[in-house]
Amino acid sequence: MAQPTEQVFSASGIPIKDVYVPADTAGIDYNQDIGLPGKPPFTRGVYPTMYRGQAWTIRRLSGFNTPEESNKLFREELDMGQTGFSVAPDMSSNIGMDYDDPRVVADVGHSGVPLASIEDMRVLFDGLPIEKASTYLAEKHGVLTSMYFAMARERGLDVSKLRGTTANCMLAWTVLNLANQIPPEAYRRYAVDFVEWCADHAPGWYPASFNSYNARDCGLTAWEELGILFSCPIDYIEEERRRRRVPLDRFIRRFAFNMAAHSDLFEEVAKLRAARRMWTRIVRDRYGIKDPRCSEFRVHLQSSGSTHTTQEPLNNLIRIAYQVLAGVLGGGQSIHANGYDEGVCLPTDQSMLLSIRTEQILALETGVTNTIDPLGGSWYVERLTTELEERGWEYLKKIEDMGGLARAIHSGWVHNEYKNASIRRAEEITSGKLPIVGVNKFRLEEEPYEVPVFRPDPKSSQAQIDKLKRLKATRDNARVAQALKKLEEVTRKGENVMPATVEAVAAYATLGEVMKVQLDVYGEWPFPIFG
Amino acid sequence: MADAKKRLRILMAKPGQEGHWTGLVVVSKALRDAGYEIVYGGNMTPQTIAAAAVQEDADAVGLSILSANYLQLIPEVVAELRQAGKADVKVLLGGIILRQDFQKLKDMGVAGIYPSGTPLPEIVQSVRDKVGSPA
Repeated sequence: MAQPTEQVFSASGIPIKDVYVPADTAGIDYNQDIGLPGKPPFTRGVYPTMYRGQAWTIRRLSGFNTPEESNKLFREELDMGQTGFSVAPDMSSNIGMDYDDPRVVADVGHSGVPLASIEDMRVLFDGLPIEKASTYLAEKHGVLTSMYFAMARERGLDVSKLRGTTANCMLAWTVLNLANQIPPEAYRRYAVDFVEWCADHAPGWYPASFNSYNARDCGLTAWEELGILFSCPIDYIEEERRRRRVPLDRFIRRFAFNMAAHSDLFEEVAKLRAARRMWTRIVRDRYGIKDPRCSEFRVHLQSSGSTHTTQEPLNNLIRIAYQVLAGVLGGGQSIHANGYDEGVCLPTDQSMLLSIRTEQILALETGVTNTIDPLGGSWYVERLTTELEERGWEYLKKIEDMGGLARAIHSGWVHNEYKNASIRRAEEITSGKLPIVGVNKFRLEEEPYEVPVFRPDPKSSQAQIDKLKRLKATRDNARVAQALKKLEEVTRKGENVMPATVEAVAAYATLGEVMKVQLDVYGEWPFPIFG
Repeated sequence: MADAKKRLRILMAKPGQEGHWTGLVVVSKALRDAGYEIVYGGNMTPQTIAAAAVQEDADAVGLSILSANYLQLIPEVVAELRQAGKADVKVLLGGIILRQDFQKLKDMGVAGIYPSGTPLPEIVQSVRDKVGSPA
């Protein structure tokens, strides 16, 4: 018998025993709760062969300065062996404010690529094989994707054959304090419209990638991440159940997920295993959907930016590698390894190459892909999986008891969770309870080295403004006005907005103009944090 | 009551539209706990920051920027403050700030710089030194 030592906790605060023994898994039934990979409840992986059949997709979220420069970056990423494009829109596009709005000028081309019209979309994907690759758009609820689809149609491509993913996640957008936001219930309306439209017109597209990555980065625990993550698809499903436009099995067949790969290796592996089991239980047991494809929890992972430090940035390289390892041992379908320098700047070319290499070395040189779910059957990991699942259900129930995620956001509760978690984390860093090497442990008086930094080009903003002005002067403005009027009509009538949205953006309506229709109909929702 | 000393007041804001807000909230709480009166402005334009600094009679303005455009936004905020007659207000800056820009920012009129990862007690102590003890 191991001698008792001081109580330790997982990163999220679960008490961890000295050693785990078979009795710790006594209540876990192999067939019901674990089973084989590729078989419900998918605890061990969504596919029967997992990485032995196909390695995970290496996918980096990219975008900076201008569509022209981001296009060059995508071409380079393709050459390095990346198999999909991931678009991070800039601040102006995240908000949905056109570049010439004086409130947003300083932010154009920052934190991503500026995209205001189909013209920008054309430039971004110029010469890139979008019919072969898959594209991820980290955008709100389908307007930028409408531009992408319209651009593909111009190329003569069949939208129903395109492969890709749109974030389209109400939860993801709660974390940023952005101007011009519509209320969460309105957001959900557009999001569900987009899912419905894709079910009919873009069956190869993942119409939503439910994203708890940012919520986790705001300081939520691993089980809170699970609970809040699933509250989002449930809110969409409940909305569709009220609408009854698309059969549920088609509505959710291509739901995808996006989670954090955080620092506590075993807890993260257990979290991903728990997530797969929970999704099966939601789809199969709660909604009675028989098609097992609907229960597959396909997840994209990203190393947790909040764990990266500005001090001694090269240390982040090590953190990222461990986090990616957790993601692989946890069976993720695609992974973004952050740049080590992201606590300092947008990643440099060198740091981006290194992120891709981090994943390739893990895939090809370490042997971790040799067998599926290598930690399955560990008394510790199985116990932790069950523990996280149980706690995840509790947190989910809390949100559902408030009336679901949209209401929980509207009331300000979700934001207060982030706020309290951020303050708690800061206090734990101050007290040393949460050790961070080089920050509150072994901190050096002077920074020992400098790393090369990337600086956004301050001229990109003006270049984009000029392009937009030219566009507005040369397009058929009567056609744009008519398309926007039509969009407003269908929005007010409660019809699916997607056909009118695709039509409007194909007529060169800008993102800001489409968003203005949304604001006109629904009004602006004030960010519920007041200090 | 003419000489009753008012509590030192700090306006906390994010210039521009960038959406990361938790750092601002965390530092606001630490300064409030230290005894300062905090006016939380959230995202604001340089103009509205200056107007609020006047209206609230702020002694300092605490700014948070994580999107690499501080060399553009800081001079705008400083100019607006001057124009509003608030040249004496202390400008403090936190977020992702490169060390190689510290001197430039000081020359622009920034009194205190706190890059991401600065311990909260260190920030509070520095604010005491630069703005004064809270009451």
